[in-house]
Amino acid sequence: MDNIIIDGLSFALPLFIMAIGGIYSEKSGITNLALEGLQGFGAFTGALVAVLTASWFSGGSQIPFYLAILFAVLGGALYSLLHALLCIKFKANQVISGVVINILATALTAFLTKQINSAVFGSPSDKFVLGVSNRITVPGLSQIPVLGAVFTNIYPFEIIIVVVAFIAWYVLYKTRFGLHLRACGDNPHAVDAAGIDVSRVRFIAVMVSGALSGIAGISFAYSISANFSGNIYVGYGYLSIAALIFGNWTILPTLGACLLFGFAKSGGYEIVKMLKMPSSYSDLVMILPYVLTLLLLIFFSKHNKSPRALGEIYDKGKR
Amino acid sequence: MKKLIVKLLGNEKRQSMTIPIFAILVSLVAGAVVLGLLGKNPLSAYMNLLQGSGLWPKASYAGGKNMLTDFTSFLNALTPMLFASLAVAVALKGGLFNIGISGQMLCAGFVTTVVIGYSGLSSGIAKPLVLLLGIVTGALVGGLVGWLKFKFNINEVVSTIMINYIAQYVISFCINTFYVNPVSRQSNPVSKAARLTLMETQVGDLKMDIPLGIILAVIAAFIIRFLFNKTKLGYEIKTVGSSITAARYAGISVGRNMVLTMVISGALAGLAGVTYYLGYFGSIQPKVLPSTGFDAIAVSLLGNSNPIGIIFSSFLITIISKGSTYMSSAAGVEAEIASVITGLILLFSACSAYIAYKVKRAKSSLEEEKILQEKEKTNDRADSGKGAE
Repeated sequence: MDNIIIDGLSFALPLFIMAIGGIYSEKSGITNLALEGLQGFGAFTGALVAVLTASWFSGGSQIPFYLAILFAVLGGALYSLLHALLCIKFKANQVISGVVINILATALTAFLTKQINSAVFGSPSDKFVLGVSNRITVPGLSQIPVLGAVFTNIYPFEIIIVVVAFIAWYVLYKTRFGLHLRACGDNPHAVDAAGIDVSRVRFIAVMVSGALSGIAGISFAYSISANFSGNIYVGYGYLSIAALIFGNWTILPTLGACLLFGFAKSGGYEIVKMLKMPSSYSDLVMILPYVLTLLLLIFFSKHNKSPRALGEIYDKGKR
Repeated sequence: MKKLIVKLLGNEKRQSMTIPIFAILVSLVAGAVVLGLLGKNPLSAYMNLLQGSGLWPKASYAGGKNMLTDFTSFLNALTPMLFASLAVAVALKGGLFNIGISGQMLCAGFVTTVVIGYSGLSSGIAKPLVLLLGIVTGALVGGLVGWLKFKFNINEVVSTIMINYIAQYVISFCINTFYVNPVSRQSNPVSKAARLTLMETQVGDLKMDIPLGIILAVIAAFIIRFLFNKTKLGYEIKTVGSSITAARYAGISVGRNMVLTMVISGALAGLAGVTYYLGYFGSIQPKVLPSTGFDAIAVSLLGNSNPIGIIFSSFLITIISKGSTYMSSAAGVEAEIASVITGLILLFSACSAYIAYKVKRAKSSLEEEKILQEKEKTNDRADSGKGAE
């Protein structure tokens, strides 16, 4: 039981922070299928900084880990500029731009990883080895039955994600800027008439999605895969998009969707372990989150409403 | 400079051709700069791409191989890409975004592999059955997506992604449990009779892979073109794709067309799947979705979702991806540079609307200048006329 909660959370939270990024972007009216590429690129820049600086610090130092998170945020935000430019300035089709950004991210990071590895470290490896980050157990709280698992063996990034997610929630729903952002996705002309620069708000929203995806990417790199390589692109970005659509573009229900994915995944693994089934059966339980999503969507989709101006290129003259 | 660009790209009728070509050229130049920075000769690297695809003679060949055999194996790789890109295009025309081509390919490939690939049927029966079953499986999976969208308002992007995962895991489980080849860790190879590509066939003194599917793929492109240009169904699909409300007003059944669009798109994805798994490869690697399904989205975009355009764009993208292996060994560049160039091409062509807009602006500003100049001339003449009076 404890394992289900521990592993479930460590998968659900990065997914959640990426989905919040997606919500920011889509609430401002920019369809964001690029999350997959953004998280990968963020993980790449973060991992790059971590391996480059690793020799500066002693072996057990945690500084490279925090540097990696910082640079993953920067890298993700920087790369997301490309999506913002394409969608806002160059008026490209947003769905297509997202797919192109993903393809380019996969190609670019694979190419750069190999180039940098052979140039700096002299070995043509296609990955940056990071290892798994250390884990924290909160004394006292972790002793509570069942719920204590939430405070056991947490990755540091989980704490960061919870804090950032709370800030993101506050900004989106409780501040003036958040109101503008949400209005941009529903009625950009009204926002424009109120004297607010729609393009600027959307630019910021997309960059926020890039920054948050960066956190998600580097978290996956430091937990599930323990390195950065092409394996980071396994579709978690698309999964978080499914989560945010499932959560009807609002933050709290999206958290529910992410937790569902996380617990269904870790629960499936535990069942396979408990029943001592051969490992290939884990593939079969892995479908649980996806089947659940489809079934739940059948019941809940009728009320799903995307932001009204989502995916539309903003044209000032159209008013 | 301005004049040159307007002259080259200004013709609006030809822009659907000239702008993608412009995007390709710009990206190739950008790729050349990167290659140059790495200290490689870009021209010879690009030549290697063509050589690897059998479009330019190599310096030397292994026994039983020459340019023609390279070219047929290039066509072998092109076939699934062409089918998959057509599948994307059909869905796009209907206003749907089929991101689940990979999953549909996998389903079709797996079902046909199990049912026919392992059956021991003779070649004449097995091959048509492979195609038929591939079409049916793909169409069913695609149709399911369309039905979910129409009946339950489930966004097709989400449902196709979910189906991608479900297919990937279920099929990986089945392969690992029932059909795994202990040496290759892939599914057991399908029978030769069921293969859609005649592998290593002796023709004269050459050993070539003959992909039978490529003919079908080109025919399919023309059929899709006919469907959209000449038939009522195609017209209705396009109308639903441009505006659901307008289609409703016109009395077009939106739900029926949505499902039909996905059925056709899925069927094409199914063909892509069988030509990929029972043509190009011959076995299925568990737990891996074919990247073709995602690249196809981009190829389709580069070809303006136009079936004939897609023949060209898939040809180009396949040259780059197929030729990259040879380039990497011949020129000593990482093969990944090829996908970077592909990515750049797609990036620039995604901006095609913007380029068209800029060209239009440049054109009209040039025209204004001309008019101004002419006005000045006439004014001058008028002035000089006055002076003479």
